[in-house]
Amino acid sequence: MLVSFLQLTASGLAVGMIYALMAVGLVLLVRAVGTMNFAQGDLLTLGAFVAYWLSVQLGLSLAGTVIGAILIFAIFGVLFMLTVFWPVRKSSWPQAITICTIGASTIIKNSMTLIWGSRALNIPPILPGSVQICGVYLEKQYFVIIGVAALIIWGVFLLFDKLYCGRIMQAAAQDKYAATIMGIPTFITIAVTFMIVMCIVGIGGYLVAPLFVVSTSLSRLQLRAFAGVVIGGFGNLKGAVIGSIAVGLIESYSSYVTTTYKDAVVFLLLLMVLVLKPSGLFGNRISDKA
Amino acid sequence: MKKFKIGGSLILLVLALFLPQILTNYHLLVLNNTIIYFISALGICMLLGMCGQMSFSAVSFMGLAGFLTAQFSKTYHIHTLLAGVLAIVVTGLVANLIGKALMRLEGSYFTFASIGIVSIFSTLFLNWKWLCSSADGISGVPKLNLFFMTVKDRNQWYYVLLVAAICCGLFVERIRRTHLGRAAASVRDNAIVASTLGVDVYKTKVICFTIASTLAAVSGVMLVYHNSYAVESMFTYDMSVSFTLMVMLGGVNSTLGTLLGSFLMTLLPEALRSFQQYLRLLYGIGIILLMIFMPMGLAGVVESLTAKWRKHLKLKGKGRNNE
Amino acid sequence: MSEPILKLNGICKAFGGVVTAQDVNLELYPGEILGLIGPNGAGKTTILNLISGIYEVDDGEICFARKDVTRIKSHDRARMGLARTFQTPRFLQRSNIRDNMLLGTDLANHARFGKSFFQKEDKNFMKEVEELMELTSFTLDWNDDISSIPYGNRKQLEIVRALLTHPKVILVDEPAAGLNQKELERVVLLLHYASKEKNIGIILIEHAMDMVMNTCDRIIVLNFGRLIATGTPQEVSSNQAVIEAYLGRS
Repeated sequence: MLVSFLQLTASGLAVGMIYALMAVGLVLLVRAVGTMNFAQGDLLTLGAFVAYWLSVQLGLSLAGTVIGAILIFAIFGVLFMLTVFWPVRKSSWPQAITICTIGASTIIKNSMTLIWGSRALNIPPILPGSVQICGVYLEKQYFVIIGVAALIIWGVFLLFDKLYCGRIMQAAAQDKYAATIMGIPTFITIAVTFMIVMCIVGIGGYLVAPLFVVSTSLSRLQLRAFAGVVIGGFGNLKGAVIGSIAVGLIESYSSYVTTTYKDAVVFLLLLMVLVLKPSGLFGNRISDKA
Repeated sequence: MKKFKIGGSLILLVLALFLPQILTNYHLLVLNNTIIYFISALGICMLLGMCGQMSFSAVSFMGLAGFLTAQFSKTYHIHTLLAGVLAIVVTGLVANLIGKALMRLEGSYFTFASIGIVSIFSTLFLNWKWLCSSADGISGVPKLNLFFMTVKDRNQWYYVLLVAAICCGLFVERIRRTHLGRAAASVRDNAIVASTLGVDVYKTKVICFTIASTLAAVSGVMLVYHNSYAVESMFTYDMSVSFTLMVMLGGVNSTLGTLLGSFLMTLLPEALRSFQQYLRLLYGIGIILLMIFMPMGLAGVVESLTAKWRKHLKLKGKGRNNE
Repeated sequence: MSEPILKLNGICKAFGGVVTAQDVNLELYPGEILGLIGPNGAGKTTILNLISGIYEVDDGEICFARKDVTRIKSHDRARMGLARTFQTPRFLQRSNIRDNMLLGTDLANHARFGKSFFQKEDKNFMKEVEELMELTSFTLDWNDDISSIPYGNRKQLEIVRALLTHPKVILVDEPAAGLNQKELERVVLLLHYASKEKNIGIILIEHAMDMVMNTCDRIIVLNFGRLIATGTPQEVSSNQAVIEAYLGRS
């Protein structure tokens, strides 16, 4: 019993942290561009494939993979912004941006299939092997994930809540017109936001790949991240993180009872939260100024 | 302008009546499927174009109604027409409940939640034995019996579907001209003004969602009777994406545009069969290009051209008066 | 003296740390034009938003048509006869003008979705709206897009739409901003028509002092969310506190 509980908790926490990374990315993008990014799961998957390419196919060391990956993610983030968001940011139809992210999702997914084939690939964990705690064997990778993800999330909070440059970026996202008047270069701040988000999510893909496989099926995880964002409260970074971890843990514990209906459980939970507290656990209803 | 629209529609109708004579059996199959999907896309047109809410759960309600009608008619031996109607009603009620929960979400959050719904229903379509009998679905669904005829071959289906599609199209067009259509437009364009004009934003969204889902249910029932089987792979998330694309391609707020979009989206894969491998990639690129250059779809392009023409005529008229 | 059609009692509203309304009391009688003035940032539009129900009050009561509407939703208040216009005219950009105005008539007719599906179009609509359009300075093609109408005409059109809803009260937010003399005269004409012919109570936020002094029956003055004066135009314009609020102490 204790064995299962510890294992389920560890894996749930680890996966929950991955959801949290995606969720943080989603919230930052919502603040920056105003809509949810439907390609978030595919960005995660891209992170996994890039890590595979660097570490397995090119055989780079850990340091080499990490540095190479971050460089690639940063460039890709800007590319993503330029092709998917920038041309339609002033569209007459507000849903245009959302649809563009759907298009991007298809492009990224199929490009990955064309480049790496459709078979699932394997990537070794960053810290192979397991560690023994209270007589239970837990994979070391879990701790790597939890540690690295926590560090990244703490970094994001620091940047956006404490540091000046973070607040500039928030200002640019909330009111572009006012920001430009005040001399904040909107293009750069939005580009930097996309770069940061891509790095966060890409690293998340690198972290989670050893737990599953490197394949396009990883993009399904974005639904859990979304559930975490909604449960935690709209546009709320802290809530998104807590909500995502909660989703990871609940998903893990519910697999003790049933594996087929795992998806359904998470979404039923989501619907319940929506019915009982529509603004999420930590959210505040912000109305438009009339 | 109105006269052109009505005249054009009548001509199309007459042509449509003679289509089965010139098409092969295979083409008729594709055409029938197109009309079935058009009915679902019509629901999306209403929800997205009229009310401004982007939802992807249409396939789930198609599937729910489809599976229900299969079970009712095959396992419970209920008369096929009654089974279909029952399935549509039950699905409508379920959609109403789900809509009430989902509509508390704003914009993109609502959209994402609707994808979650697709996920849940997919699981049900594969695992809930009462509904789907097995993961391979239900086969051998009895033919639809419309009292005056049993719809057996593709020819007959074509005319039945034509009538259904026209009824649904007229229904949606009628709504556009009534208070619900205007209220939905106000929710879409300016929700604050909507509430100061007495429009209950939440209720309007829920009703639009319910109607759109019911149209999807009709479509699902037709699909299952047409193919005589129901299986989860007929109701995937990708199909929902293509419904949305049909609507955006044809013109998000236009019934005829949606029809055009449905044809294009169904015929395109057929024409590009040889390029299957790169098809999906081009598909994604096409979506982005569409949003950049033609966000209001083909119907939007037509409308802006006619608006320019009318302005041109007005200016010419004024010029003449001033001389 | 008749009963007030709209009454605010001790209204308080704060956004985070910023107090935008503090203990505001207000009474509006049917057929009177009540001016709501004050320096920029005094909280005037906030009061209108609280009355329409777009914001919720932190404390206090709002009484409309003898009912307590403090907890009632915005669209229900509109259905009781509360209309409003906005600082920047807000229309449905993607619908034509006819549909925009029909929304107003829908409200007056207490339109219901189901009933409306089976009904023919209201024959009185065109008659009524054309009567009202005679009070404005322009004519229009009903099938046109809203975007084809110039700003000054849109402001008048918004008031016409409000009148179509057969309201008991209209909240008007800075109608004079951006209008030329002729357009302003028409707006005043419309407001007088509403208050004197239709016995509608009007709350008018405005910065153009001439218009306020000439049009309003009574005026209340807000500063930093507090009521600092109330009375006739003459009383208010000679009130020391008001002068200080606008010009500062010397």
